[in-house]
Amino acid sequence: MSTQYREVYRRRPLQISQLGLHVIIVLLLFLSLIPTLIMINLSFKNGLQYRWERWGVSLPLRGSNYNAAWDVIDAYMWNTVLVAAIGLAGVLVLSLIGGYVFARMRFPLREPLYYAIISLLMVPWVLSFIPAYMLYLNLGLLNSRWALIIPNLAGGPILGIFLMRAFITGIPEELYESARCDGAGVWSLIWHITFPLSLPGLATLSVLNFVAEWNSFLWPLVTIHDMSKQVISVGLFRLSRTTNDGVDFGAGGPLFAGYVLASIPLVILFIVLGKFYVEGLVESGIKM
Amino acid sequence: MRIATKRDTRRHVQGLGERPAFSLVAIRKSWQAYALLSPIFLLLIVFVYYPPILGLVRAFYRWRPGVPATFVGLDNFIAYFTYAETPHELVNILKLLCFGLFAGIVMPFLMAELIFFVRSSAAKELYRLLVIIPMLVPGIVTVLLWQKLYDPYLGPINDLLRTLGYDELALNWLGEPATAIYAIIFVGFPWVWGVGTLIYLGGLGQISLSVYEAAALDGCIGIRRVLRIDLPLVLGQVRLLAILAVINAITAFQNILVLTDGGPGFATMVPGLTMFHKAFRAQEFGYSSAIGLMLFIIAMVGTLIINRSIRPTNEESN
Repeated sequence: MSTQYREVYRRRPLQISQLGLHVIIVLLLFLSLIPTLIMINLSFKNGLQYRWERWGVSLPLRGSNYNAAWDVIDAYMWNTVLVAAIGLAGVLVLSLIGGYVFARMRFPLREPLYYAIISLLMVPWVLSFIPAYMLYLNLGLLNSRWALIIPNLAGGPILGIFLMRAFITGIPEELYESARCDGAGVWSLIWHITFPLSLPGLATLSVLNFVAEWNSFLWPLVTIHDMSKQVISVGLFRLSRTTNDGVDFGAGGPLFAGYVLASIPLVILFIVLGKFYVEGLVESGIKM
Repeated sequence: MRIATKRDTRRHVQGLGERPAFSLVAIRKSWQAYALLSPIFLLLIVFVYYPPILGLVRAFYRWRPGVPATFVGLDNFIAYFTYAETPHELVNILKLLCFGLFAGIVMPFLMAELIFFVRSSAAKELYRLLVIIPMLVPGIVTVLLWQKLYDPYLGPINDLLRTLGYDELALNWLGEPATAIYAIIFVGFPWVWGVGTLIYLGGLGQISLSVYEAAALDGCIGIRRVLRIDLPLVLGQVRLLAILAVINAITAFQNILVLTDGGPGFATMVPGLTMFHKAFRAQEFGYSSAIGLMLFIIAMVGTLIINRSIRPTNEESN
């Protein structure tokens, strides 16, 4: 804020109100974080500690809960990483190409084709959920990893093309002109010029896409019956419903350790690409 | 959403020069563009365009896996609207809608304003990051955690009530017909949603300093500034979040499926969950498609109403 604006306030009440502001913000953040804190605390307790000492931190911390949880959920975690990574790779390629074509090439029907894609952002999934299931059933794709990869591969580029077109439009035209003068073809323009310059846009798209995939629940719940191919959300849901599992999951400790482990990929992603995530959300709020 | 995009693209197209003439020659010249787009459209047509169109048609059919579909006219819709629990389901989505608009629009705005008023830019940056943390827990985990919080015997909520001496208030929150829907609504308290907060902060950051300086000289500060200046200038964000809240309230049922599965009895049933049950437990896919179509129409009408009623202003008009 500029100094002129600051001078309007008198100094003393300002600091008190600033203090009050911090107190309210911290309180709201703390309230939002209570479930997360409870989750972490309970993940270190065994059955007895869970029964009798739920509230406080109780020693010893049972780190072995994490081993027990990992042994049960590791397959779900890898399955999710696998399908999310394959889908994401395809989404990035298609979005980059689509974004480039709509931002940089001129051809008949460009606008109608662009709106034909973007208007799909307005179709709520509720209309296609049931018929999509029947489509995958008839194509024999149910209970296969393709049932998890294809929806992302086909649907992900919708938002991707929207984001990448806006991003690629911002690249200076001179760069393309000089490359064209050197005789660069379309592929070369995409891979050697557009790709390196649109990495921040692709990073934003990657975070949005991966978070959505990691959270997907209803679709894998109905399309995948074989638990060895199941993803983490459904895996945890099923575990929360079983009480007589080998590690007594329903009783507490290991189940909460599993919840914490399931959050770790998102935490890592956030540490590495969090800046792009925040920027992507802020940007999309301005553009839409 | 769409209106803003359209304006954006127009400007961009003009910037690039004349639109090429629509002729066979022009199309043949542009074969590269079409070739590059063809894999995208191939996937879209089969897996994104086809299902909703199929659903639109099959809403008027009796449709089960392995049996040829038969046309039944409006039977599916009549069946749904004459079903005894339907009015109850509609009341439930109305409750979810009213609350969803509050939680999705008001709370993030409040949080964004609080952060926006913070003077220290380091603290501002920190809060912007902290507000994201609850979103790092997978959605399903958040819901399953809240289920544990509500546990009548081992849950922290009832532990707290008993410690404070309100034993009679330690209810089975998700298990009582009278409280279940409100318990579902309460999930996520205090609803300081990171995405919404960041979207508002983006909008507030766009407001130019000169507007604030002029307002401050006129003595328009604090709450008055929030209501007279900030709120009108982030109406675009309000509209976006309102549309998201409406679509979510009308179509979402994941939390209900996990927390109560519509129970106890039918206390927390919503149309989306009925759609899910009819398809995957009763194999009545035509009936489900009809409910899906109906929800789609309600969501579209809601979106249109919001698009009409919230008109973003810009700084020049103030």
